[in-house]
Amino acid sequence: MRRLTSQKKLENQRPGYAFVAPVVIMMAGLLVYPMLYGLYISFFNTNLVSRWNFVGLKYYIEAFTDPEFYSSVLLTLEFMVLVVAGHFIIGFYLATQLNKAFRGRIGYRIIFMLPWFFPEAVVALLFTWILNPMYGIMNSILNSLGLISTNVSWLGSQELAFPTVVAVCIWKGFPLVMTMILAGLQTIPSELYEAAEIDGVGKFAQLRYITIPSLKPILKTVLILDCVWWFKQYTLVYTMTAGGPGTATSLISLSVYGTAFNDLRFGKGAAWGILVFFICYLINILLKAVIKDDD
Amino acid sequence: MTTKTARLTGSIIRYVLLTLLALMIIIPILWMLSTSFKTEPQTYEPKPSWLPDPFSLVAYQKFFSTYSFGRMLINSLVTCLASVVICLVFSCLAGYGLTRFRFKGKKQILSFLLLSQMFPSVMLVVPFYAMLSKIHLTNTLFSLIVVYSATNVAFSTWLLVSYFKTIPLELDEAARVDGATHFRIFYNIVLPLVLPGIAAVAMFVLFNGWNEYMYSSVLVSSDRLKTITVGIIALNSQYQIKWNDLMAASAFSSIPLVVLFVCFQKYFIAGMTGGAVKG
Repeated sequence: MRRLTSQKKLENQRPGYAFVAPVVIMMAGLLVYPMLYGLYISFFNTNLVSRWNFVGLKYYIEAFTDPEFYSSVLLTLEFMVLVVAGHFIIGFYLATQLNKAFRGRIGYRIIFMLPWFFPEAVVALLFTWILNPMYGIMNSILNSLGLISTNVSWLGSQELAFPTVVAVCIWKGFPLVMTMILAGLQTIPSELYEAAEIDGVGKFAQLRYITIPSLKPILKTVLILDCVWWFKQYTLVYTMTAGGPGTATSLISLSVYGTAFNDLRFGKGAAWGILVFFICYLINILLKAVIKDDD
Repeated sequence: MTTKTARLTGSIIRYVLLTLLALMIIIPILWMLSTSFKTEPQTYEPKPSWLPDPFSLVAYQKFFSTYSFGRMLINSLVTCLASVVICLVFSCLAGYGLTRFRFKGKKQILSFLLLSQMFPSVMLVVPFYAMLSKIHLTNTLFSLIVVYSATNVAFSTWLLVSYFKTIPLELDEAARVDGATHFRIFYNIVLPLVLPGIAAVAMFVLFNGWNEYMYSSVLVSSDRLKTITVGIIALNSQYQIKWNDLMAASAFSSIPLVVLFVCFQKYFIAGMTGGAVKG
């Protein structure tokens, strides 16, 4: 097992502050302050230039009765659950496979990490092109296999746009989850499995009693991060559908961006942004409560 | 005998499944490359062909001549490398401080690292814009460097903290006995040992910066300073989309990172492994 430094032996000394100060100052100035500034803006009806009318909590109260906000949050939650589930199912399967020794393992490992290294903008455009209703290769393949007879407008149809966007987001995001799980798997000592093997413990029981408990801390952290990262997803979906058709893929980040930069209602946008933060925070609390740490 | 057959079937099933999944990754990427070597009329064939015929480099030539993507590549590169360096310096210091010392507020700092991942960038972009324009820094690459460093420093620190934890304290103690200063221990003893972790974090920050769209599109408006992702997405919103050009631009802007990853994948995976051991 990896050796972890014990807290007791740590020196209680001032130099600690000196080492940590640069990061703390940077985070205070460039993360906490902007966030608080955003909170401040959210109390105003403002275009940031000429209009600064104090409205108090109006936008927060309105958000709770605004069907646009509600449906956007619900849609984003649904999106997040599907995308994260996809990441974990594929990521977990691949990580367990790639953790075994077999010929070509390095090759597969490189291939499965590739989507991570293509920028979201590129992935979005690539799939927009692949799924192009007229000239895209997807329809052409399905046509030649006899699976469809007329061209499908994947991103342009009310019903298909959402599942299509989810699929592309799974494609883009699973490598990170896979790598983290693989990293976790490599810290489990193989003696544990050998001992289990000798005692005649089945594969499923090994998974249940060795793999999952050992991975729990890392699974929890990756789950939380993946959830909050994808809850805030913007670039991929904006580039592929811009939230459409209609509001079929109008995730909360797109709504916030639109409210702020298209409608120039920065106060309302900021309020919604703060609410997005709180929702992410709630997701984090909820997941932490559900998956309890043993230590 | 039966276990042997079972094992063989198991391994065949694994290869089939892995290969199918791998094809789902490879085919889109090959399609991007194939399209990028086509001419514009070839992209409008009702039945698209897999191989470009004739093989054309026209889209890649336009990459530099018509669209000045070369400039954007340099902008992205400069911004990303600068933010990688800043991030690394800050988060290595913090990683050392947070694992080597006991002090008030340490727990709060550690939990803030994760908490900051919940800040929506769509929320931060307005304050960033307001703050930076107040000091006349919008529309500079410097503003992007600052923002990319700030938005990545928390996660890099978080990754590095778990990496620094794996270096035994006894090393520090031995050096302390020999009279070395804290900074010396950090710089000469601990830092070389966390190099794989640093490499992984460097690539992580590099990819994030290269990938970034929202801050770049809001904070930088002049064409001369646009980054590559903004340039590519701008191409997409043109009235008539030229898919061969777009795919060439996509391929050209992704390949440096892919090559970098393939060369350093051992480091990268090892680094992530070290960093991800404990959340």
